[in-house]
Amino acid sequence: MWHVTLKRVRLLIVLTILFVMLISSASLNAQGGGGYIGELEGPTLVLDPAQWPTEFSEAPMLAEKVAAGDLPPVVERIPSEPLVIQPLDSIGEYGGTWRRAFVGPGDGENGNRINASDKLLFWDYTGTEIVPSAAKGWEVSEDGTTTTVFLREGMKWSDGAPFTADDFVFWFEWMYSDTRITTPIADMAVQGQQGRVEKVDDYTVSFVFPGPNLLFVDLLAGDTLIGGGQSVRQSRGTSYGAYAPAHYLKQFIPEVSGKTEEELNKEATDAGFEDWVTRLHFATDWQLNPDVPNIGPFRTVQPINTEAWVVERNPYYWAVDTAGNQLPYLDRVVFTLAENPQIITLRAIAGEYDQQERHILMTELPAIIENQETSNYTLHLDLAFNGSDAVYQFNQSYDADPEIAKWLTNADFRRALSIGIDRDQLNETFWLGAGVPGSAVPAESSPYNPGPEYRDMWSTYDPDLANQMLDDIGLTERDSDGYRVRTDNGERLRLEIQAVASFLPYVQISEMIADQWSDLGIYAEPREYERTLGMTRAANNETQIFVWTNGGTELLYLFPRHAIPVDPTEAFMGPAFAKWFVTNGADGIEPTDPNLLRIYELFTAATGLDEAGRIQNAQEIWKILVDQQYGIGTVGQSPAFMGVRIVNNDFANIPDRTCIAQHCRTPGGSHPETFYFTNPDRRD
Amino acid sequence: MLSFIARRIMLGALTTWVISIIAFLVILLPPGDFVDAYIAQLSGLGQYVSLETAANLREQYGTDQPFHVQYIKWIRRVAHGDFGQSLEFGVPVADVIGDRLWLTMVVSLGAIALTWGLALPIGIYSAVHQYSFGDYFFTFIGFIGLAIPNFLLALILMYIGFKYFDASIGGLFSPEYQLEPWTWEKIWDLIKHLPMPVIILGMAGTAQLIRIMRANLLDELRKPYVVTARAKGLTETRVILKYPVRAALNPFASTIGYLLPFVVSGSIIISVVMSLPTVGPILLRALVAQDVYLAGTIILMLGTLTVIGTIISDLLLMWIDPRIRLEQR
Amino acid sequence: MDTMISPDAPVADPIAGLPEPEGSETEERIAVATQWQLMSMRFRKHRLAMASLIIVILFYLIAIFANFLAYADPFKTEAYRSLMPPQKVILWDDDGFNPHVLAVEGARDPVSFKRIYKTDPDHKIPLRLFAHGYEYKFLGLFRTDRHLIGVADDAGVTAEESIFLMGTDLLGRDLFSRLMRATRISLSVGLVGVALSMFLGVLLGGISGLYGGVIDITIQRLIEITRSIPTIPLWMGLAAAMPRDWSVVKIYFAITLIISLIGWTDLARVVRGRFLSLRNEDFVLAAELAGAGQLRIIFRHMVPSFLSHIIAAMTLALPAMIISETALSFLGLGLRPPAISWGVLLQDAQNIQTMANTPWLLLVAVPVIIVILAFNFLGDGLRDAADPYG
Repeated sequence: MWHVTLKRVRLLIVLTILFVMLISSASLNAQGGGGYIGELEGPTLVLDPAQWPTEFSEAPMLAEKVAAGDLPPVVERIPSEPLVIQPLDSIGEYGGTWRRAFVGPGDGENGNRINASDKLLFWDYTGTEIVPSAAKGWEVSEDGTTTTVFLREGMKWSDGAPFTADDFVFWFEWMYSDTRITTPIADMAVQGQQGRVEKVDDYTVSFVFPGPNLLFVDLLAGDTLIGGGQSVRQSRGTSYGAYAPAHYLKQFIPEVSGKTEEELNKEATDAGFEDWVTRLHFATDWQLNPDVPNIGPFRTVQPINTEAWVVERNPYYWAVDTAGNQLPYLDRVVFTLAENPQIITLRAIAGEYDQQERHILMTELPAIIENQETSNYTLHLDLAFNGSDAVYQFNQSYDADPEIAKWLTNADFRRALSIGIDRDQLNETFWLGAGVPGSAVPAESSPYNPGPEYRDMWSTYDPDLANQMLDDIGLTERDSDGYRVRTDNGERLRLEIQAVASFLPYVQISEMIADQWSDLGIYAEPREYERTLGMTRAANNETQIFVWTNGGTELLYLFPRHAIPVDPTEAFMGPAFAKWFVTNGADGIEPTDPNLLRIYELFTAATGLDEAGRIQNAQEIWKILVDQQYGIGTVGQSPAFMGVRIVNNDFANIPDRTCIAQHCRTPGGSHPETFYFTNPDRRD
Repeated sequence: MLSFIARRIMLGALTTWVISIIAFLVILLPPGDFVDAYIAQLSGLGQYVSLETAANLREQYGTDQPFHVQYIKWIRRVAHGDFGQSLEFGVPVADVIGDRLWLTMVVSLGAIALTWGLALPIGIYSAVHQYSFGDYFFTFIGFIGLAIPNFLLALILMYIGFKYFDASIGGLFSPEYQLEPWTWEKIWDLIKHLPMPVIILGMAGTAQLIRIMRANLLDELRKPYVVTARAKGLTETRVILKYPVRAALNPFASTIGYLLPFVVSGSIIISVVMSLPTVGPILLRALVAQDVYLAGTIILMLGTLTVIGTIISDLLLMWIDPRIRLEQR
Repeated sequence: MDTMISPDAPVADPIAGLPEPEGSETEERIAVATQWQLMSMRFRKHRLAMASLIIVILFYLIAIFANFLAYADPFKTEAYRSLMPPQKVILWDDDGFNPHVLAVEGARDPVSFKRIYKTDPDHKIPLRLFAHGYEYKFLGLFRTDRHLIGVADDAGVTAEESIFLMGTDLLGRDLFSRLMRATRISLSVGLVGVALSMFLGVLLGGISGLYGGVIDITIQRLIEITRSIPTIPLWMGLAAAMPRDWSVVKIYFAITLIISLIGWTDLARVVRGRFLSLRNEDFVLAAELAGAGQLRIIFRHMVPSFLSHIIAAMTLALPAMIISETALSFLGLGLRPPAISWGVLLQDAQNIQTMANTPWLLLVAVPVIIVILAFNFLGDGLRDAADPYG
């Protein structure tokens, strides 16, 4: 049985336009790219059963185990309808270790993303089309209330136990619904009402909602709490992700294990855990617990809280290449601990990593380029689709200083500051000319992009106009140093830009902007905060202007928090409004700005809209955002975040350019299970 | 005598207890808690935590409880020899520190050995040849380690190692030995990696030692017995080495006790820059993440070592110097 | 054993090993002037210390006249001047003595991603002494735009656009001018911090030594506890707990406060020792009998008798403070941009790109090393001299 929805047809139209735009945007950047920016490419899925292989083979290391009788033969390990992947360039060879860097136990995402195919649905390598992954297909009911997911018959967990609808029901009933373990999430709700999971048969599962939930398929494919997959959503104390290994986890949960809570607590404290809940959270965590069965291409053999996190091939992985070779080609991935980014750069330019795109800073590019030949690697620059890597978000709910708040909420003030920024200067200095200057809207290739004119609106350098606008809104008086003064007490108007040191040098970027704003007579002081402190201050509504990426906003509905204040954990544009929004008005501050209210309205309505309706709403939201300049975009569509990719020359099936976006799970979208070594020496 | 020791140990225990409170306080002082730190860290690494998750984590880890509740919970466990679970590493604190502890010892002892090996001869030479060119030259060498910001020095040396000597970068093991069990080859690999961190760490401390050695020896050399020895026609080497140097070494006894904890806490920045698998980076990481039990345990450990060191030094001094012994009666 | 992070090293006690002044009764009878004379005689014997003294004075002159010596606005950014290498100053040309620099043009190489700069031999930019430049407040007294060097008024370009004696940083800001400003801040951080820890050290050490008993034991415990907690956690905790809406200047003072909070224990121990030995001296007893108050006895009678030791200790504590500031900046706790300090500038150089392609950013370390060494030799010389009978 093969199921595809009509939605794909609609998507096709969008895609055609997209494709043309992608090429044009790539060529736009190629001038500054020095040949490091290639064409977007990646492996494809073979969805037509007629083209599937009928003979299957396996890695030598597994063949040995089969011969020794420790493992069933490969045909019995893979499902009757496996995921068939056409590798990017060639059918690979088995063996070898992928050497990578990680920065500590918090960097689990490093491996989660390599295991990203454990999601039910995924995006293709362009990041624009939803494709099957662990599930072979999906279907949405006429009324939009039920989304049915079809599983692969004969698919197994990494320990050989069957992967069935029971694992979904177990997750829903014994984990998700138990408030001792976790709290309900918005992803599983429509208009505040929780949905439920139902088993249709062993290989069919339905998600049933009290109202139409047309966004749910996107949520399943996105990097969301429901769709993220087991690797990311059941690690580090969380229990989301739609399914769980029932046969293994049962023993840790009261009643279903046949034990009482007291008995399990006793077991847990004996094992060194706080109580049964913390023990369960440890048990579900693939990064920490090598015993937990998973369905990703790799499973942990040495946990992440050590010097080296080692993951090895999953003998029951359910994907094959077009020649019938069970994937992955690589035996294992070894992540070596590095305590700081300089060590990573140094090791990278010494050729000690086979592919590394995380934790590499753009400003180190020249050093990376000049060591390419001696250290046998190639640099690729991947361009992101989000509009700006540094958005200056003006806190609309700021209330600590009424005079400052008055200006932060003044649209012309924000517009003037925006056109007072010389984005070409920023691009040249911090993006080495490889970014696209402009507003915060997503790439022109995105269906949500409101139109090319919105890239430049209020976003091109015009200091004279900016000065004029600031005069016009009443900031005419200046102090002896030429800075404009407050209208309430005549002292200098001091703005604070809050910056957190991260993958971009936000403090230095802000220093340059502060220097440019000083030409407008605006005094702004960049202030660096330690990451936790910065985020806490933002959450407490203490910041005036916060600079952060708007990564993820290219899929506005799946990841809105960097564009509009809807999630209090990162609502830099209005933390108090976000609180108001998520608590349905019980807490926080209600916005009065009609434009903001309109944004909320458009956003909330989208769940019940079809694709075309959602696109229309998203475009309108972006139009308002750009016109109002709540967040000043600077430079984006760049390689700054995970886009500086260093690849060993012996590594194959590596795309020239890959999609770097939150939902593409970089490098997951290019199916790392198809990477292999062309050099036989590297395959032992 | 015994009562003095008993009193000293009691005071030491009291100090340790106060340290445990201060340690805990210092860790929890920055705004936010582990969950905030965790969310912030993840969002910098491309993983985004939802509100629901944050609430869950907070309940699980109990980081929203008031200071004294968290402290009492921890200190009770510590009293039973259980240092609790590291929030970030997800395993018992003892397991996190584990191997790193003795690698720290190896690096620190190496640094101490180098410091002494450099500082004592230079100290003696510059005291005996006060204001000579040699005095200036060797003191200059000895002081240079103090003057160069060592985080920068570490990076420069690593870069030179990579560029010109094809050395493996940072850490204490080559990649191929990283995952291997202990063998002679692995130990040899460790020894090959030791010089750089040991030199950077050791050089930084020589200045102070040279200074003390020089001052102490100058002091001794002026004493009448040296003059007598010279008058009696002893060779200059004998005159200096026989008694003055030994007497000048006495004050070092008072520092032996807390050398080790001191070197450990002094090596934190270098360990981070060079990515050494020692306690330093873990402590820094735990502090940033507000991983209370882990950070608390390491600080308490270092504090306790210092307190024990002080007691040992006091006892050593009493044993060496009868005047102090008498005073205590 | 790392002074950078732990100024309170147990072995760091600079004067603990020194002999008690012998025959202080004789010493007391000698006029104060004579003692200072003796000291200066001895001090001059330590040639390295003499040289160091001159260097230290020079550096403080730089600190005082930082804005005058700088020729470019240290905050002026310009992408098209990013990471320029240091520039040659040409003193003579065909016309004789005519100090000038050549105009520089740059572009990014699309393959190497480096910014490549070329000089134009035909476009000379003449340099002048006491030229006009950016405006600043001279010694905080009056506004002026005169700088030691700058471009001639008719050159058609500003100093920011043309002079790059030490090259520029990533943001295209002139490194030399930034270094001047950094020298001012870093050298004064040390002063304020040391002064504070001297005060605390003398006060608490004095009280401890003077009163003894329970007060002594309490203060001794306090010292022991302070020394037993690794300094980095202490810094991090205190630094993070500071009110963050403070301005950079306020934070800067708070940082020195923090450093000195940790630095005082050393001196307190020394001072306590001195007080213990001075307590029974006749002149103290005499002062007590004459009805002098305790504070008066401490600061009027006892402290002057070992003032020279305090000065020496202070000189040795200063470099530790300075280097602590750079370490704090490395941890992201100390002075942060937009403030300019040695720590901030060193932090800018802490990357692979600097090692590989822009090594001039490392030049910042040179003055740091020189000042630290100079202070150390100066302190040694002072300490040697402080004991005139040795």
